[in-house]
Amino acid sequence: MPDDPSLVATGDLTGPVRGIVADVLMVSRADVQPDTSLGALGAESIDFLDLIFRIEEVIGKKVPVSRWEAFINARLPGADLSRAITLAIVVEFAEQERNRT
Amino acid sequence: MTERVAITGIGVVTPIGIGIADFTEALRAGCSGARWITAFNCEGFETQIAAEVDDRRFDAGSYVEPRKMVKHMSRSAAFAVAAAAMARRESRLRPGEVDPYRMAVSLGAGGMGPVDLDLLTGQGVAAIASARGQESDELDIPAFAREFRARTNPISVLRGLPNLAAAHLAIQQDARGPNNTITTACSAGTQAIGEGLRAIQRGDADVVFAGGTDAMINPVGVLGFSMLGTLSQRNDDPEHASRPFDASRDGFVIGEGAAIMVLEREAVARARGATVLAELAGYGCTCDAYRITDERPGAEAAVRAIRLCLEDAGASAADIAYINAHGTGTQMNDVTETTAVKTAFNGSGLPPMSSTKSMIGHLLAAAGAVELAATVTGMLHDFLPPTINFEVPDPACEVDCVPNAARSARMGAALSNSFGFGGQNACLMIRRW
Repeated sequence: MPDDPSLVATGDLTGPVRGIVADVLMVSRADVQPDTSLGALGAESIDFLDLIFRIEEVIGKKVPVSRWEAFINARLPGADLSRAITLAIVVEFAEQERNRT
Repeated sequence: MTERVAITGIGVVTPIGIGIADFTEALRAGCSGARWITAFNCEGFETQIAAEVDDRRFDAGSYVEPRKMVKHMSRSAAFAVAAAAMARRESRLRPGEVDPYRMAVSLGAGGMGPVDLDLLTGQGVAAIASARGQESDELDIPAFAREFRARTNPISVLRGLPNLAAAHLAIQQDARGPNNTITTACSAGTQAIGEGLRAIQRGDADVVFAGGTDAMINPVGVLGFSMLGTLSQRNDDPEHASRPFDASRDGFVIGEGAAIMVLEREAVARARGATVLAELAGYGCTCDAYRITDERPGAEAAVRAIRLCLEDAGASAADIAYINAHGTGTQMNDVTETTAVKTAFNGSGLPPMSSTKSMIGHLLAAAGAVELAATVTGMLHDFLPPTINFEVPDPACEVDCVPNAARSARMGAALSNSFGFGGQNACLMIRRW
């Protein structure tokens, strides 16, 4: 299912980010649901660098890794990050970065 | 008496066969793995031939769990991981049978593979092109850094590190003991297996995944060896280009691949009832410490490596039924190696010495490991692998090189030689179990 480019600028990024997560972790899109733990799919820290690099390509701007770290620390304080990061969390971050002016 | 070390599994990824069974048949049949290069457009290159691993038959993902790990592997790391998985399967070593902290890795590895070059060099070059100043040829470093960061996925940086192949192998095999990478170019695979032997002998490990891997069939690799004048330019006839010991030899054919062996302390192998393929009996290594690309007169340091290996195994020259030569097919190597073995075997008849590089190509950091694999499988199946493409004898290389056809023979013990640019000399001995 192709993602409508106009939606990337304003709409819900769940579709494109789900595709990115599936590519990064080499799993099928169906395996990546909003509440799926990326860690449970095998993601480790290096994979999040890959993820952010590909999100940059979709939203068309650079995203410092430090901002991802700050977002996660604020959003999921004290959580077990190997489990707590889900597709929904990554989508939230991607949309926040896209909307940043 | 020192405890013996057994070889209980072998995995290979080579241009002439993936898996030890196909590899053995190809060696016995005298197949060549050399072809025109398909990995990249080599138009205008002086050398346009190589021995490539056939990607239609090699799926790295089928050896890796989880599958996404493939993305983090260079081509050479993927070869090593696949070869280790095959070796492990043959050894029938089950998870939990040996403490993971007693399982080590000793790997000969080289530089980066073509995938890395696409990601790093390709994008790096693009970044350089757009960062070059208008008025001078000097690189604008800050502009380069901006461009490079914008174009390069961070994961490609890790993929290029030489120690990562051994790390990936350890992850896949849960080998938590000492993890070493040896980067002595063309002797790396041989040294890595020798150092694996030592790791068991000195008590650091009970099982070692030892071998070598390399993947340098990329524009920079081929250009580099070409500029050094070491590659055959017989572009019109790739299958006959690698011709060690033949008077018309004009250099080696660059190859790629990996071989990994499961080395095991005798008591551990016996306790679990493992089938032993051969004993890894001896290892010798020296360095010329002389010149970068020339050997000491009389090949003195290479002779010493061979003698040290025999001594280490408690063997004499007369015990050796076969030598797998370094045999690159460059003018200089084959003459020097002939001198070295004749001197080392002084007084004893020189056994047959073939170069399997005539079939497999020169697998660089993997060469010694793949060649020891050829020697072990020859011992197991009672044949000497041939030197193919041998037509015109060279008076300076008077050896019985098992010309053109495999020979039936029962080997009790055999040697495998490797010599690297920089003067590293290494020799391994195997013995029938």
